[in-house]
Amino acid sequence: MFWHIFLRVISSSDLWAATLQFTALLLLPALGGVISERSGVINIAMEGMMLVGAYAGVMGAKATGSVVGGVLIAIIAGSLLALVHAIVSVNFKADQIISGIAINLAALGLTNYLLPLQTGGQGVPSLGNNLRLLNISLGPISNIPFIGPVFFQQNIVFYVAALILLGIHFLLFHTNAGLRIRAVGEHPQAADTAGVNVQLVRYMCVIGSGALSGLAGAFLSMGIAGIFNSDMTAGAGFIALAAMIFGKYTPFGTAGACFIFGLGEALSVRMQDTGISPNLLSTLPYIITLIALVGLVGRTVAPAADGIPYEPGGE
Amino acid sequence: MAVPTVQPRSPEPRPEFWLLAWARKLGNSLGRPVFAVVLSMIAGAIVIMISPGGSPGAAASAYQTLFQGSFGDPQSISFTLVRVGPLILTGLGVAIAFRAGLFNIGAEGQLAIGAMVAGMIAFKEPHWPAWALIPLMLIASIIAGAIWGGIAGWLKAWRGAHEVVTTIMLNWIAFYLTDYLIDGPFKAPSQATQTPPLPAQATLPRISTAYDQLLGGFLPRIDPNAYNLDVGFLLALLALVVYWFITARTTFGYELRVIGQNPKAARYAGIRTGRNIFLVMAISGAFSGLAGAIHLMGQFPYTLIATTFSIDPTGFDAIAVSLLGRTTAIGVLLASLFFGGLRQGGYLMQLNANIPGDLVYIIQALVLFCIAAEFLPAIQRALPAWMSFSRRPALATGIKEPTVIDLPREGAASSNGEPVPVEGDAAATDSATVERHSERVEED
Repeated sequence: MFWHIFLRVISSSDLWAATLQFTALLLLPALGGVISERSGVINIAMEGMMLVGAYAGVMGAKATGSVVGGVLIAIIAGSLLALVHAIVSVNFKADQIISGIAINLAALGLTNYLLPLQTGGQGVPSLGNNLRLLNISLGPISNIPFIGPVFFQQNIVFYVAALILLGIHFLLFHTNAGLRIRAVGEHPQAADTAGVNVQLVRYMCVIGSGALSGLAGAFLSMGIAGIFNSDMTAGAGFIALAAMIFGKYTPFGTAGACFIFGLGEALSVRMQDTGISPNLLSTLPYIITLIALVGLVGRTVAPAADGIPYEPGGE
Repeated sequence: MAVPTVQPRSPEPRPEFWLLAWARKLGNSLGRPVFAVVLSMIAGAIVIMISPGGSPGAAASAYQTLFQGSFGDPQSISFTLVRVGPLILTGLGVAIAFRAGLFNIGAEGQLAIGAMVAGMIAFKEPHWPAWALIPLMLIASIIAGAIWGGIAGWLKAWRGAHEVVTTIMLNWIAFYLTDYLIDGPFKAPSQATQTPPLPAQATLPRISTAYDQLLGGFLPRIDPNAYNLDVGFLLALLALVVYWFITARTTFGYELRVIGQNPKAARYAGIRTGRNIFLVMAISGAFSGLAGAIHLMGQFPYTLIATTFSIDPTGFDAIAVSLLGRTTAIGVLLASLFFGGLRQGGYLMQLNANIPGDLVYIIQALVLFCIAAEFLPAIQRALPAWMSFSRRPALATGIKEPTVIDLPREGAASSNGEPVPVEGDAAATDSATVERHSERVEED
């Protein structure tokens, strides 16, 4: 009975399409985390930046009357929140974990605070189809059986996320800018001596992570859900954090981790018929990450200067 | 006792009148928290003013309702103290980990596990008498929380896994695990996604009821329905004393501080860092586990409801509480009163002044920013010399929060898995640490 249902679920294109959708949703903030932490700034605030992006996306789309406007406003909102993190942790040398927690709290507070005020108590704002990020079909190849629905009828953000993945890998490992980012994250003193502006690099990376998280938020509210609900990210930003660590702070490793966690998420919904609790399945990404952390499947090591404020001239 | 051989420098250039010295010490320890609270409250008022339909009058009346609803009359105080009890316990849990330089973000998960285990015992054995059931539930919640926190400590001590990441992961495992148990094996027959209420003898009595039974014959009676504060609050006060004793009067508490301020020095001094890290995380979890049991056993509806732990703010409030309280027992008490009051008053503010109670999250975030960021020294530097309130080194080191600044880091683990500082900056920070250390030694 179990195997019967399991095989049916596994062989459905629906499952794999949903898996890729979740993968893209997790990948964007996780990649943001990768560039932020590679530059030496711990970012546990992807959750909050996503939430603000989700809110700003829906409100922005309604206000401007266009999808592009909504997405742009979501990206700007995520970046602004990240800017606060950057100012507090780079300039004021705050503990980056406390700052991250504060950002998450502020995001939850701001969205819940503004929601009734901006909607005049009209309840949750939902979007019409003309304002949503929709799935697109890529011409004739989308009609190939199985492969078509899985790969070529995805949401537009999925393709954007795939491009961003390639872009960030190229940026980090094949450009001068990437070398600088990694140098700043591993040994800021040396980077500074070599003429790299440590603070500027960190600012750019943190703001970039906010932009990616904001985009992911817009994908969640304007694409997947079509509505904004209070606290709708529900831990997705923390799974992205887990994926980043599990992926050893590399773009492709992170993408692989996001795929595994996305599959778990998609499976947990569809495996209910087998009697396995979706709640128990949902614990798996976190348990896997714990195992990865203690090094049973290859030890994860953070960038050397991750989380340490840089003081020019040393202490 | 293992005492690192550190020569205390003399931080005071000249002897000072004791009252002045005492006032300076008080000012130093109060400076940053008070500054953080005042600045955040002002910023919160500005948020209200610039919101749609906001005005200075609206901000003033909102804050008035906030205060009325939290400490305005005895009944409000009783409601507030109901929230303060679990906050004290989780706040102490986070604080004791901070003492050792560890950042326990897992208070909420430890609270969830504590509440769950306490509930499971009552649901399994609903006919046991109160004298057996209540102590058993409380002790079980302490042990369960200790195990959940201890896992993170053990992973840190054994493999150097960063406790921030492991406690976040353990939080979500706890949330989904409790959701599974609440919505599965322990689900109420007729209800969705929640357990049945606890049997009556498994609930904590109200202080007003106990008072009426003991003294009601001689003194005016108190209406238990109006004053619903339960004896869990007294347990929280007891925990404050226990915390004070552990941190101020035991070798273990001393070793924690040494580890928190300089793990390398601690190891050279023969302190068993790994064992202490495991122990402190277990104790930290124990406090939060007990908070979960009190939360469940103390208040209506005495029920576990699925998906509530992941949105319950107590565990995250605890971080703000312990930072604002500077990890001291009295500070944790005061900060718990502040944040408990904000939460309770925010609830009334939403009802009466039409300001969403979630403003409290924003104020809280601002408090965290103000404590974590070095705004105060930055402002001091920006001020012209004659306006500067003090440039003495006593203040500069006094407002530093060594437990927070010197977080041990991931990736800086030695071959046997115990965390040590990165070689390069260890030398650089040594002198600063010694200075702070000597200050602590002198304090004791």
